[in-house]
Amino acid sequence: MADSTANPPCRDVIELALELPLARFSLRVAVRLGDGVTAIMGPSGSGKTSLLEAVAGLRPKTRGRIALDGTVLLDSATGVRLRPERRRVGYVPQGAGLFPHITAMGNVRFGARGAESRVRAAIECLELTPLLGRYPATLSGGEKQRVALARSLASNPRLLLLDEPLAALDVGLRERVVPYLLRIHEEWKVPVLYVTHNVGEALDLAEAVLLLREGTVEAYGPALEMLSRPAMARAAEAGIENLRHGRIIAHDEAGGTTRVLLDDGQILAIPLSSSRRPGDAVNLAIRAEDVLLAVERLHGLSARNIVEARIVAIDRVGRDALLRCRPGSESGPERRPWLVRITPSAVGSLGLTSGQEVWLAIKSHSVRLL
Amino acid sequence: MKPAALLILSILVPAPPPVAADDLLVFAAASLTEVLRELGTSYEKAHADRIAFNFGASSDLARQIAAGAPADAFYSADVARMEELEQAGLVDRRERRNILSNVLVIVVPRDAKISISEPSDLKSLGTIALANPEAVPAGIYAKTYLGSLGLWAALKDKVVPTLDVRAALAAVEAEHAEAGIVYATDAAASKKVRVAFRVPREQGPLIVYTLAPLERSTKPATRAFVGFLASRGAAATYERYGFIVLPAE
Amino acid sequence: MLTAQDLAVVGFTLRIAALGTVLIIGPGIVLALALARYQGPGKSVMETLLSLPLVLPPTAVGMLLLSVLARHGSLGRWLDAAGIQVVFTWKAVLLATMVMAFPLLVRSARTAFEEVDPSLVGLARTLGCGPIAAFLRVTLPLAWRGIVGGTVLAFARALGEFGATIMIAGNIPGRTQTLALAIFQASQVGRDDRARALAGVTVLVAFVTLWTAEWLTRRRTRRVAT
Repeated sequence: MADSTANPPCRDVIELALELPLARFSLRVAVRLGDGVTAIMGPSGSGKTSLLEAVAGLRPKTRGRIALDGTVLLDSATGVRLRPERRRVGYVPQGAGLFPHITAMGNVRFGARGAESRVRAAIECLELTPLLGRYPATLSGGEKQRVALARSLASNPRLLLLDEPLAALDVGLRERVVPYLLRIHEEWKVPVLYVTHNVGEALDLAEAVLLLREGTVEAYGPALEMLSRPAMARAAEAGIENLRHGRIIAHDEAGGTTRVLLDDGQILAIPLSSSRRPGDAVNLAIRAEDVLLAVERLHGLSARNIVEARIVAIDRVGRDALLRCRPGSESGPERRPWLVRITPSAVGSLGLTSGQEVWLAIKSHSVRLL
Repeated sequence: MKPAALLILSILVPAPPPVAADDLLVFAAASLTEVLRELGTSYEKAHADRIAFNFGASSDLARQIAAGAPADAFYSADVARMEELEQAGLVDRRERRNILSNVLVIVVPRDAKISISEPSDLKSLGTIALANPEAVPAGIYAKTYLGSLGLWAALKDKVVPTLDVRAALAAVEAEHAEAGIVYATDAAASKKVRVAFRVPREQGPLIVYTLAPLERSTKPATRAFVGFLASRGAAATYERYGFIVLPAE
Repeated sequence: MLTAQDLAVVGFTLRIAALGTVLIIGPGIVLALALARYQGPGKSVMETLLSLPLVLPPTAVGMLLLSVLARHGSLGRWLDAAGIQVVFTWKAVLLATMVMAFPLLVRSARTAFEEVDPSLVGLARTLGCGPIAAFLRVTLPLAWRGIVGGTVLAFARALGEFGATIMIAGNIPGRTQTLALAIFQASQVGRDDRARALAGVTVLVAFVTLWTAEWLTRRRTRRVAT
């Protein structure tokens, strides 16, 4: 749910002005980041992981200034350097980094310092209840990442640093975990710095993108704006999806569909999945190019899902146009926007503009159950 | 987990070794093993003190004492070792006494078909066990004797040196060596060897066992026990084992 | 077959080996951690010194210890003047076993620490642990099996110590005679029956020790894999 406005979120809470010598060059980052999800992207070896480690306090050679919502974590000028255990920065490295000698429950509790309610909330948010008694060696990659996320959350961090949390996962797993990341940000309201190579992920999760190259900031701005850059556009051609999380309402055996209530209140019809029971949580994926768009109210269409929406942004992705359409009326509850990928000629011939009322059609068969 | 932990913890209880620290510790030549054990036991019956012995080659024992071993008295099989310690100031000279003498014998395994009737017969053998002739009194005596007969050069390459005279005896008992030269008292203590030749006392080297309390020993019992070992009462016991008791000085 | 005196020797040997092992665990873990983590200038010197007792003949180690601790030695002089007796007493047996067993423990513990992913320690720090808490809650539990293995190895070495022991403690029955020394003495005086009986005891003790260690470390593995 990356809100695409022209500017990054107004509140600049993370102040970075740091310098850290690395093997081939020095990391030099001077930027102010917002309180939402910021994706940190760039070629391999550009210093992304080092940046996260420096903010977490794990790189003693870092000099400069790091401040978080007014709290100074590092200031070489005044001699302030908070030790990692005092920074309250949650760090989830690539590969999760679970403690192998403790159960999942033990891992989650590790930094909680007795705050059981926070532990329970983290467990619920990441849906870890069936996994709690197991040891990390017996968990799948996605399960490990979820436990690692819960572990960070339970320690009540001021900031979350996620280092390619989904990189080691295969596509199916990746999509299973992204909705959790979204929930984290929505429920816990913690700023997130998120290192990724995946443009689709960045689009889906981040409000802003920080591009690093050879240790310096090449660019910083809203996510969609960054997409027009050549390097990112190429990656974007690989595919952009809408990822949603919801619960099964009921099965319609005769009709061949199952109804799902999404977290934000929308209801979708998906192909019949009798193996899941009503009340079960599900993760869904709908490709942006599988969403049809009409400028008139739709009738007599075979698609089972018709959504009334309003265009909030039109951007380019490679050769295509990418639209963000927020469903529902302006006075209603805030719903997550749908990403719709269509040809520029369609944009032109339909005369699509930002703010326009449209109807989206999604075939139930286009909805993939993860 | 628990039973194993208990087992391990039970042996962790540290304790000093069985013999209490204020017992007497007497370092003595290996050839005195049986006779001193008997004398020590009878002394213990009459007194409250406990006596512990460390038997070995007098040379090795002297070295340990020189290095600081906590012995209370030293009973050496020759005078030279004692005098080394005297020069280092470790011996109470006034209380030192020469107590015993002994003779050398050539022994062979009891059932061996070897016939040795005189020392030069040793030349026909392959191995001869001696307490290390470079350092141990019994070996030094044997070497001196063989040298006096002009036999040492011929025999020295057959020598199997052992750590002390009892080890030489054991080597012959186990037939690891065809013959050995030990004290008559050692041969008497063993059932597995027979004496092939007894060195006449006037032909062999002068063997003197000398005893002294050590300077560093502050226990009153030390001098009492040394006195006991040198007494007329002990003489009978020594003779029973085959030692020659020297006249009192 | 075994006399009361023999059993006393067994008890003495076990107690000294156990005490010696317990005393080296603390310093051994600290040194192993230091060697695993720090890259200072004096590190190779320290590593070499530590490995010496493993490579030198035990009698040579004993000789070196004796030249320092004997009455005329650099340290022994002071001990003698103060009336403290170390050489040829049970304390020398303890010292010899500790010196010979120490490098084994440090090696195993160091390898165990090196195998702990250092990034896990960093993670523990971000979760609120100070350096000591991170060591106790992450590094130590993960290195535990290696440390236990090293301790058992050290204990076994302590049980069997001979060369250095005979040099600085002699072979005084009832005071400094361990199982290994008793076997030697028995065979020297032709008492092979006693030597064999004592050797049999060492086999039994070694078997129990190793089996217990296996059992301790095996249980750990099962838990983690569940």
